[in-house]
Amino acid sequence: MRVEYINPFVEAAFNVMKEVLLADVRRGELYLKSTSMPVMGVAAIVGLAGDVEGRVLFDMDKPTALRIASTMNGEELETMDELVKATITELANMITAQAVTKLHELGFRFDLTPPAIFTGDNMEVSNQDVEALIVPMETPQGKVEINVAIRERA
Amino acid sequence: MSVHAAEKAKTESAVHDEKKERADKIDFKMVTFSLAGKEYGIDIMNVKEIAKAGRFTYVPNAAPFVRGVYNLRGDIISVIDLRTMFHLPAERKAEGALESLLILQVEEHVFGVIVDGIDKVVGVSRAGIQPPHPIFGDVNVKYILGIIESQGKLFIILNVEKLFAPKKAEAEKTTVEDLAPGRVRDLGLADRTMDNKADSAGDLTADFIKETLLAFRLFAVSSVNDAWFRKRYEEWRGMRQAMDLQLKEQGEAEQFLETFYSPCTGQLWSDEYAAAVGALMPDFKGKAINVWNPGCGKGHETFSLACLLKHKFPDARVKIWANDSDLLAISMAPNMVFMVENVPDLYVPYMVRGRNGWTFLPAIRDSIFFEFHDVLNANPIPPADVILCRDTVSFLPENDQKRLLADFGEKTKHGGLLILGTNERMPLEGWKAVKADGVSAYVKGA
Repeated sequence: MRVEYINPFVEAAFNVMKEVLLADVRRGELYLKSTSMPVMGVAAIVGLAGDVEGRVLFDMDKPTALRIASTMNGEELETMDELVKATITELANMITAQAVTKLHELGFRFDLTPPAIFTGDNMEVSNQDVEALIVPMETPQGKVEINVAIRERA
Repeated sequence: MSVHAAEKAKTESAVHDEKKERADKIDFKMVTFSLAGKEYGIDIMNVKEIAKAGRFTYVPNAAPFVRGVYNLRGDIISVIDLRTMFHLPAERKAEGALESLLILQVEEHVFGVIVDGIDKVVGVSRAGIQPPHPIFGDVNVKYILGIIESQGKLFIILNVEKLFAPKKAEAEKTTVEDLAPGRVRDLGLADRTMDNKADSAGDLTADFIKETLLAFRLFAVSSVNDAWFRKRYEEWRGMRQAMDLQLKEQGEAEQFLETFYSPCTGQLWSDEYAAAVGALMPDFKGKAINVWNPGCGKGHETFSLACLLKHKFPDARVKIWANDSDLLAISMAPNMVFMVENVPDLYVPYMVRGRNGWTFLPAIRDSIFFEFHDVLNANPIPPADVILCRDTVSFLPENDQKRLLADFGEKTKHGGLLILGTNERMPLEGWKAVKADGVSAYVKGA
């Protein structure tokens, strides 16, 4: 992944989460991963197209998703209902959109696909040949992993 | 056998003639010394050096013949008194007086033995050595290699291996213990059979250095860099001499690797190096040039190559995929700033003054994709005309080295150029080495 893409995603994730969760957010060490990996329970995915091809995946476990949705909506949510899913989807959309805006300012042209959300137990994402950048974010609501895989269109 | 001896025994001249003939061939050298007025010899191959030393540090509860330990330039060796060991009278010297010490090496063990006086090195014929007579008294026959006459004196040649590699001797005979309680036990670590002791010890040290290089610097010795390693190891031995050869810390590992790195590592290539690389480039006139630069670090070599290609092939469309798995290094790469005084002439036309210093022109910068990427993951690189991978392969685990080199083969166009580190070689088939000054380069399929 081009180094120029890394910062916009990290910054966008940090800013947006800090703003919507009204709390201190900490970023963990960035690293690369290319094997298939388990999904913690809730995964929101946003596709990228344009000069590049790729996707951004937001991964967290269910209690974290519920707590994040509760904070963002200002009410206590206890079941994985439509509102929770819509909220997580929106969070994914906000972060990705802000990152893409930053990239646009740097002269890179990205388009977004509408986000999709997956929930369930024992899920796994496999795309063996794609190397992903993992941005771990620690929030008071729990851990969110942002998994960015982008490559230049050959 | 000496002339003197031959003269003495005129009556048996025929026998002596034969002996004299044998003696002409000197194939056994020994260091001679005295113990209680008698002459002894030890195979010179077992003698590391001779020394005068005193003030040995006493070791409590050790066998009586162990005088203590001694610090030989940083190596702690045990010191054994041969006279006590052989129940010979030994004059106790005054406190602090120096003793004559033979530093012996048996297998990988080094230790000192105290003798009355060291004489000289005597060369004799191996054929002249006679087996020990069973009634020899003070030294157990087991420990005697043989007797030889030289310059009118009889020398008892001690068998150091038997004396100091006790495990083997123990297996042979248990009664040895009674006659010479002075055997050093537990000196031999294992009953390893070593044909050539010096070489085996050397190999062990070399292996140890290999392991520490891997542990400290992730540098894996393999067919890629073996030639350099062997040369460097010899050099290292010469540099360190009797000092400890092994690498005990990161700094020493780094010191060992000093000569490994290619010219201009971590800086823009000098005009000379750039010219040497430029001379290797195939003719790319007027087409697109794809370059893959794994392990680009902070990107100095990437910019150097970009400028070089632009300079040599102004009309070509150059695209360089440069990647490194060190996030910090690669993050700095796209926005490098230089002081113009420090930049070789080649690059000046491709630079522009910025706010903080000189940077490369957008035309150069846009030709490079700096990527945070681990080469051990899938490499989505289009077929390359040039692969520049200096001093990167050697820092991967050995299996991954093979995998990456095979990948180079797949990703390079026919006739494409591969540039490895100066001290790295391409062990795989299908590449032809190109002769060049200080550059290790290969052409695919040529």
